[in-house]
Amino acid sequence: MFRLHVKYEWVSVWRDRWVVVLSLIFFGLLFFAIRNGQEKVLERQASIAKARGELRQAESKRRGEIDSVARGLRQYGEARRNPRLLSTYGQRMGKVVAMDAQPLAFVATGQSDLFTHFAKPKLYGEAYSLGFSELANPVQLLFGSFDLAFVCVYLLPLLVLAFSYNLLSSDKESGSLRLTLSQPVSLFSWLVAKLALRYAVVVGLIAATLLIVLAWHGIAMSTGLFWLLLLICVYVLFWFAVSFLVSLLGWSSGQNAIVLVSVWVVLVLLVPSIVSQLANAVYPVPSRINMIHNYRVAEADAEKRASEILTSYYRDHPELGQQDSTVANQYQFWLKYFASVDVLKKAVQPVLDEYDGALAQQQEWVDRFKVLSPAILLQAGLNDLAGTSTAHYTDFRHQVIGFNETWRNYFIPRMFANELLQASDLDQLPEPRYQSRVQPVWAIDLLLIAVFAAVVLGVSFRVYQTSSAERWLAS
Amino acid sequence: MIREIVRKELLEIFREGRFRVALLTVAILVVTAIGVGRQYYRQVNEQHEAARRNARSEWVSQGSKNPHSAAHYGTYAFKPKYPLSLLDNGVDKYSGVSIYLEAHKRNDAQYMAAQDQTALSRFGDLSPDFILMFMVPLFIILIAFNSVSRERESGTLRVMMSQGISPWKLALGKWLAVFTPVAVLTLLVFLVGGVLLANLEDFGLFSWWPLILLALVYLLYYGVFINVSILVSASVRKSSLAFVLLLGIWILSCLAMPKATSVVADALYPYPTQLEFEEQIAEDKTNGLNGHDPWNAESKKLEAETLQKYGVDSVKKLPFNWDGYLMQKGEEHEAEIYFKHYQVLKEIYQKQSKVYRTSAALSPFLPARFLSMALCRTDYHAHWHFADEAEKYRLMLVGRLNGDMVDNSRTGQWDYRADEKLWRAVPDFAYEPVRYQSIVEANAGHFLVLLAWWVLSGVGMLVAVRQMKVF
Repeated sequence: MFRLHVKYEWVSVWRDRWVVVLSLIFFGLLFFAIRNGQEKVLERQASIAKARGELRQAESKRRGEIDSVARGLRQYGEARRNPRLLSTYGQRMGKVVAMDAQPLAFVATGQSDLFTHFAKPKLYGEAYSLGFSELANPVQLLFGSFDLAFVCVYLLPLLVLAFSYNLLSSDKESGSLRLTLSQPVSLFSWLVAKLALRYAVVVGLIAATLLIVLAWHGIAMSTGLFWLLLLICVYVLFWFAVSFLVSLLGWSSGQNAIVLVSVWVVLVLLVPSIVSQLANAVYPVPSRINMIHNYRVAEADAEKRASEILTSYYRDHPELGQQDSTVANQYQFWLKYFASVDVLKKAVQPVLDEYDGALAQQQEWVDRFKVLSPAILLQAGLNDLAGTSTAHYTDFRHQVIGFNETWRNYFIPRMFANELLQASDLDQLPEPRYQSRVQPVWAIDLLLIAVFAAVVLGVSFRVYQTSSAERWLAS
Repeated sequence: MIREIVRKELLEIFREGRFRVALLTVAILVVTAIGVGRQYYRQVNEQHEAARRNARSEWVSQGSKNPHSAAHYGTYAFKPKYPLSLLDNGVDKYSGVSIYLEAHKRNDAQYMAAQDQTALSRFGDLSPDFILMFMVPLFIILIAFNSVSRERESGTLRVMMSQGISPWKLALGKWLAVFTPVAVLTLLVFLVGGVLLANLEDFGLFSWWPLILLALVYLLYYGVFINVSILVSASVRKSSLAFVLLLGIWILSCLAMPKATSVVADALYPYPTQLEFEEQIAEDKTNGLNGHDPWNAESKKLEAETLQKYGVDSVKKLPFNWDGYLMQKGEEHEAEIYFKHYQVLKEIYQKQSKVYRTSAALSPFLPARFLSMALCRTDYHAHWHFADEAEKYRLMLVGRLNGDMVDNSRTGQWDYRADEKLWRAVPDFAYEPVRYQSIVEANAGHFLVLLAWWVLSGVGMLVAVRQMKVF
C-alpha cells in the first residue's frame, strides 16, 4: 500500500508544471552561486600563487647577488646597499605565509571577504600592526555574497515550502482526501508517504544539481561533499517538518502559505538579526578605541625610558653581545631599534592580550546564541566546512604572528653577531607551514539542526494523535 | 467615491488578524531597534569623544623631542558618528573607525567592527534600516497581495464594476488604503527617531530636514511596493499565486539583486589585494613615480640645485636645516605616490558604484538603500571623505613639524628638541563632514531612478487595474 501511495504521489508531483519550473530556477541559482564561490576561490589561490611566485623570483635574483658579492665579483656602492645585509633581507624578503583555500571553500564566503589570505613577516614593525584586513568595497561586504551558503540558508527553505505547503490542504480542497480516506488506508502512512516522497524529490534534486554543477566547474569530489550534502539534507528535513506541522493544523492552502512564509521570515531573517543585535548589546565587543589609548600610553611610557631600557636589555642578553668589540656592529642602528621594540612589546603586550582575551570571550558567548535558529546553525556549519569561519581566520592570524617571531629569531641573533648572509644560508631560512588548527564544529551544528527537526516532527506527531481525521475532513 | 473605497478598505484591513499581528510585530521591532540603536549610538559617541580627547592629550603631553620623532609618534583620527546613523548604520560596520597618522605613511582606517564580530553579525542587525528596508515592504505585500484578487474571488468586483466605478478610482482608493497605515507607521518612526535624536546631547549636529528627505525616500520606496502589489493582485487570478509572485519579487529585489550586483561589480572592477596595493606603492617609492627618478636620485638633484641657489658648497652652510627640508620634500614626494594609488582605488570604487546605479533599474531596493545611507552620512562616500580629510591633516601635521625643524635648527643638529609649545600650536583634527548639498547633488541620480520606479510602477498598476478581468 505504501508503495502505491508513493507511486501516485510521484505521478502527481511529476505532472505538476510548478515542480519543473521550480527545479529549473533552483538549478540556475545553484549554478550561479557555485560559480561565484569557485571564482572567489580561484582568485584567492591566484593571488597567493602570484605572491609566492614573485617571492621565488626575487629570492633567486637576490641569491645571485649575494653570491657574487660574497665572491668579490660585484660592487654595490654604499654600505647600506650590500645585498648580504641581514637587516634588508629580513625586512624585504619575508616568506609568504598563506592560508590556502580548503577543498570546500567555494561553499561559503563566510569571513573570507574581510581578511587577507597571505602575509609576509617583517623584521621591523610590531606583529600587532601586520595588517589582516583585505581591501574591499564595504558596500559589497554589507550586501554579502551570492554563494552556496546563501542559496541554502535563505532560498532552499522557500523551495521546500513551495513544494509542500499544500501537502494536505490541496487534497482536502479538491475533495480527494475524502476519497482516499474512504479506502482501507491509514491516514498516517498516507501522509508519511507523501512527505517522504517529496523530501526524496527535493533531496535528489539538490544532490543531482550539486553534482552536475560541481562537475561542470571541475571541482573535485571529496568526502567533505558528503558531509555538506548531509548538512543540507538535515536542514531541508527541518523545513519539511515545519511544513508538515502546519499542514496538520488543517488550514487552507493560502493560509498555509502565509504562515509558512512568516515562519521563514522569523527564523531566517528576524531571529538572526535580533540575536546578533542583542548579543552585542548584552556582551558588547570590547572597545578597540580604548585599546588604542591604553596601547599608546604604554608605548609613550616605554619610549620615555628607552635609554635605560636598552642598557638593561644588553645586560639581560649577554649572549647577544658582540664577540669582537673592536669592530663596530654594522647593524647598530637596527639593534637599538629591536631592543626598544622588544621593550615596547613587553609593555604593550598585556594591553593586547587583555583585549584579545575579552574579544575571544565575547565571541564565545555570542556563538552560543546560534542555537536559536537552524539558519544560523547551517551558516555556521557551512562556514566551518568551507574553512572560512571567524575561528579559521583567528587561527591563521596567530600562526602568522608566530611565524613572524620565528623569522625574527633567525635574524636578530645573527645581526648581534654582526654576520652577513651567504647564498647557502638562504636554504636554511625558516619556512612557514600553515595548517589549520581549528577543531571542526560542523558536526555539532548538524546535530543541533537535527534536534530542531526532531522536535518539530515530535510536535507534529502529537498534533496528529490528538486530533482526529474528521477534523481535517470537516471544512 | 475614492473616500468611500479608502474607508471600506481601511476597515477591512484593520479587521484582519493578519494585519494586526504584522503591525504589532513591526512596531515592537522598530521600538526595540531604536532603543538598542540609541544605546549603542550614545555608547560609541562617548567612546569617540573620550578617544579624541585622549589622542589630543597624548599628543600634547608627549614631552620634548625632535619634531620629526613626534611626527613618527603621530596621532589618531577618529571617525565621528552622526545622529542619523541611529536610523541607518550603512557601511559603518564594514569600514574602519580610526586612522593612525604618522610620518611617511598613509594608513588605512583600522578596526572595522565586523572583523571583531562573529559570522552571526553577517546576517545583519536589527537596526531601524533593516526594518525599514526589508520588513516594511514585506508588511506591504502581506496587506496588499489580495487587495484586488480578494474582491474578484468573492465576486464583489463584479458588483462594483457593474455599478460603473472607474478603474482609476478603484486603483487610487486601494492604493491610499494600503499607503495610509504604512505612511503613518513610517512617519511615526521618523518622528520618534527625530525626537530621540533631538534630545541627545550633541543636538548641534542634528537638523530636521535630512530626516524629512529620508522619510520621503522611504515613502517613495514603499510606494513602489504598493504599486507592484496592486499590479500583481489585479493581474493574477488567484490570491495565493499573487502572494507567491510578490514574495518572489521581494526576494529578488531585496535579497538576491544586491548580492548579484556585488558579484558583477567585483568581477568587472576588482580591487587589488591589500598586499598588492602596498607593493605597488613600495615599487613607486623605490623606482620613482611616473617615470621620474627615484627619490634617491631626485634628492641629489635637489641638493645640487639648493646649494647653487644659496651659493654655498655644503649643506652645513645653508641658513636652514637641510635634513628637515629634505625630509619635507621627501614627504611631499611620498604624498604624491599615495595620492596616485588611492586615486586608482577611488576610480575602481566609482566604477563599481556605476554598476550599482545601473542595476538599480532592476531593483528599487538599490537606489533606496544608497539614498538612505548617503542621507545618514554612513555610505562609502562619507568614509572616503573622512579618509581624505585625515590625509590632508596628516600632511599638514608632518609639514608643520618638519618646518619647525627647518627653521629652528641647523643641519645635522639631530639633538634639537621641540616641546609642548609646538605640539599645542598644531591644531587638533577637526573633521567637517560631507555637506548635505553635495550629498544631495551626488545622489540625485539615485533619486531619479527611484522616482522613475515609482512613476512607472504606478502607470503599470493603473493599466493593470484598467485591463483586469472581472471574474
